[in-house]
Amino acid sequence: MDALCAEFAGARADENGYDLARTLSPDFPNDTLRAIWQSCNAHDVKSVVKRELSKNVTGMQRLSHQELAGWVEVYHAYWKAVGELLAVQSSWTKVFGAWTELLTALLRGYNAHGFEAWTIPCLYVTGKYLRTFAIKADDERNSGSLTDNKAAANFQDDFNPESEQNATLEDCARQLNKIFNICLNDRAPLDLSRKWGIYYVTNLLFKTYFKFNSASLSKNVLKALSVGRGDMPDLAAFPKSQQVTFKYYEGVLCFLEENYVEAEKYLTEAWNNCYKGHMKNKELILTYLIPCHLLTTHTLPSQKLLEPYPGLQKLFGPLAQSIKRGKLHAFDLALQDSEDEFVKRRIYLTLERGRDIALRNLLRKVFIAGGFEEPKEGDGGKPVRRTRIPIAEFTAAISLGSQETLDDDEVECLLANMIYKGLMKGYIARDRGIVVLSKTGAFPGTGL
Amino acid sequence: MTNTSTWQHVGDSGGADQRHPQTTAFTAVPVRQSFAAHAAVNPPHPTNNQSASMAATTEPKKKIDWPESVRSYVQRSFLPANMISEVKRDEMEAKLKETISKANDTGVMYTINWETMELPQQMIQNERKQALALQQIVGQYPLASQQFAQSFAPPAIPAWQPSVPVAKSSRKRKSSDLDEKKLPSPIPPWRSGQAGQSLANRTTFADQEAAPKHSAKSQKEKRQKYDGGYKSTYRIPSPPPNDGPVKGTCENLEKRYLRLTAAPKPELVRPERILRQTLELLKRKWKQDQNYSYICDQFKSMRQDLTVQAIKNDFTVEVYEIHARIALEKGDLGEYNQCQTQLKALYQLGLKGKKIEFKAYRILYFIHTANRSALNDALADLTPTEKKERAIKHALDVRSALALGNYHRFFRLYNDTPNMGAYLLDKFVRRERLAALCNISKAYKPSVPLRFIAEELYFESDVEAAQFVLDLNGESLLEERQDTIVFLSGKAGQLFEGPKKEAFSKVDIKGQI
Repeated sequence: MDALCAEFAGARADENGYDLARTLSPDFPNDTLRAIWQSCNAHDVKSVVKRELSKNVTGMQRLSHQELAGWVEVYHAYWKAVGELLAVQSSWTKVFGAWTELLTALLRGYNAHGFEAWTIPCLYVTGKYLRTFAIKADDERNSGSLTDNKAAANFQDDFNPESEQNATLEDCARQLNKIFNICLNDRAPLDLSRKWGIYYVTNLLFKTYFKFNSASLSKNVLKALSVGRGDMPDLAAFPKSQQVTFKYYEGVLCFLEENYVEAEKYLTEAWNNCYKGHMKNKELILTYLIPCHLLTTHTLPSQKLLEPYPGLQKLFGPLAQSIKRGKLHAFDLALQDSEDEFVKRRIYLTLERGRDIALRNLLRKVFIAGGFEEPKEGDGGKPVRRTRIPIAEFTAAISLGSQETLDDDEVECLLANMIYKGLMKGYIARDRGIVVLSKTGAFPGTGL
Repeated sequence: MTNTSTWQHVGDSGGADQRHPQTTAFTAVPVRQSFAAHAAVNPPHPTNNQSASMAATTEPKKKIDWPESVRSYVQRSFLPANMISEVKRDEMEAKLKETISKANDTGVMYTINWETMELPQQMIQNERKQALALQQIVGQYPLASQQFAQSFAPPAIPAWQPSVPVAKSSRKRKSSDLDEKKLPSPIPPWRSGQAGQSLANRTTFADQEAAPKHSAKSQKEKRQKYDGGYKSTYRIPSPPPNDGPVKGTCENLEKRYLRLTAAPKPELVRPERILRQTLELLKRKWKQDQNYSYICDQFKSMRQDLTVQAIKNDFTVEVYEIHARIALEKGDLGEYNQCQTQLKALYQLGLKGKKIEFKAYRILYFIHTANRSALNDALADLTPTEKKERAIKHALDVRSALALGNYHRFFRLYNDTPNMGAYLLDKFVRRERLAALCNISKAYKPSVPLRFIAEELYFESDVEAAQFVLDLNGESLLEERQDTIVFLSGKAGQLFEGPKKEAFSKVDIKGQI
């Protein structure tokens, strides 16, 4: 404990929040934790902390009586949490409980004991590990027998399966929200403001919501952020890592709402700013950016782009190939093969629409194969493509391409879709059984 | 005579049930004494003996002297590492005090090995476990009455057999196709009212067929009167929360639904054996009266009773499935959705039910609400084998047909929907017709026969198709030629775009490309 207090004094002398936060980390070897635990007991822990803090923090840095009391509570809570971490029979639920108390003590420090803004990394560390412990607690409970769950009293009409599974993590999200609010609602001048903690905790909240499958809750956070944005430091002034993470989540949220244009914008920003050595993060960004490009601009990732990411190559390679060549059957297979993976990443329903592009490419081939009209006199010699194409030709192509037998009506339906979506220009003349394609730009954006 | 004694027993166990909260809460001392006295004349509950002896020993107090071993015992009790989160501190302190003064009173303070003595929190925990075990034993006593009840209730029948072929005349099945062949002869109308009443009012019922029950009930009434008198002070009105689920003691079959605002009272909650009879009753009533508001209300109260008692078994699944089907048939999607959410979780627990049927509905439902993330979850929830099951494959095909705008295929699938899925498809078929009409209007020039529209969009007749167009102010697009009517698709322009957008926006669908 005295070592911790000495570190506290050092960090305080430098006003280094990250150093300070390290004194509240649970991520030490067991021996270190045990040393902390054994340095005091339940009766004297408060007085020990108080004595050590007063002894170490001297001179100009001297803590006011009020602030000292706050930190004593914080380290007391930390000491108890360490005890839970060490206890052989302890459960993660108990660790989570003890850790929540630590967070509460810290929050009280800001509310009632005048903790300064430079100390916010303490909130980062407690918040981060609170989430870790919550996930472990949920896993532990879910893997245990079901009877544990039944014990909880329930006054609802129906039981809530989701919250039973993620009860601790949801509680964690509520705690993190407190951090969010304590950062957001600080009215101190900017250079002394806790607002500088806002994006770290926002990202942590996003991460938590995504984990328990309630990404939509993130919208509340975004709303609160945009309301308070007026008197907030610009995002660009925050650490790059926080910017990139924030943009990534913002992009994915838009993606999930099918707002691909916005999603593409945010994800591109995240992509451009992402540290080039962070392969994992870059891979995550691409996972959503590639489907965006497919839908917005009908562009596919190049071999070179995918090369450094074997995972993405396996995921998108076959799909991209089949789309490019207009191979419907290969597309269906590629989609089916990686279906579980796509579904897990929530991109399946988006990628599925890539079939339209594959179909467009196939139809385009039919158009090209149709060749040119007989040159007419006085035509200026420039050959004109045959633009009246029998439905039967498309039917043959699609049936061959998808390895299914389609009737003319269904093919017409697919063609109507192409025309409606603007992927093909022209019209169907049903009474004559032909498609009349536009003489100029029958397949917009493809050079035909 | 034997019968009477059985029923007496039920009454007794009911009493034990009411006493139970006191066992765990350890509040006032007089309570425990009366409990002990009661338990002493009631040997079938061996677990009571311990607390009985504990409370029974009261001797004049001596001056208390604390040996070192006791002090360290107290200290150990409050070590954070030894804390048990379920046990509150004041409970612990009370127990500690009790343990030490008992040791003092009985003069064993110096002879007890305090080193190996159970910590107070452990004692409390163990006692709770025992109390729970006791509760389970008590729960088994009504077995006799259950067997009895089953002898007059209709035999349990499978409520629903989707494998039974559907009559060709109707696309949809009705939830009331509750297997007429298998139901015992329906209650004749002249009896139905009476049956309902007598089931709702146990006394009448008992008078007719079950004399012993009557005696049990009257005894219970007596006790309630008794309790309502001067003893009411030590009756805890409702069990303290987090003490585990309640055990219902209500014997009425029907119960109006009321939203709970506090812990449920056991006397208002029906145990599973009653709920099973309730379900049979409701199935009959639904067939007879088709009174949805009554049925829905009754099912909600059933679900509530199941939930507060934490009953999660095949019977629970059956209740939710039947309610879901009835809600579907009546187009009550809110209620249906609540049921399906529960069903999903119940199936995940490995309980038996019509998993395939309901997983398919679930997909169709999320197509209707255009909830992509839920749809994604529903897909993630399917195993490869399930994907090949007819109902699920149908739902998946519907989904992919709509995702790719393949209305031709969609309407073919609409015509061939298994189980009760068509009730869900009905909910969005208009919207999809609008989308298809927009497509056709843009793609076909100059016109298509009305017959084509009727066939592609699966209208019952040309007239219906024409009416659809007319309702959208499309009279100028219909033209009579010789003996046919044509739809002037080339002139439709943006006419159907507005209604389409509106139809889709109601369920909030964005970013269609």
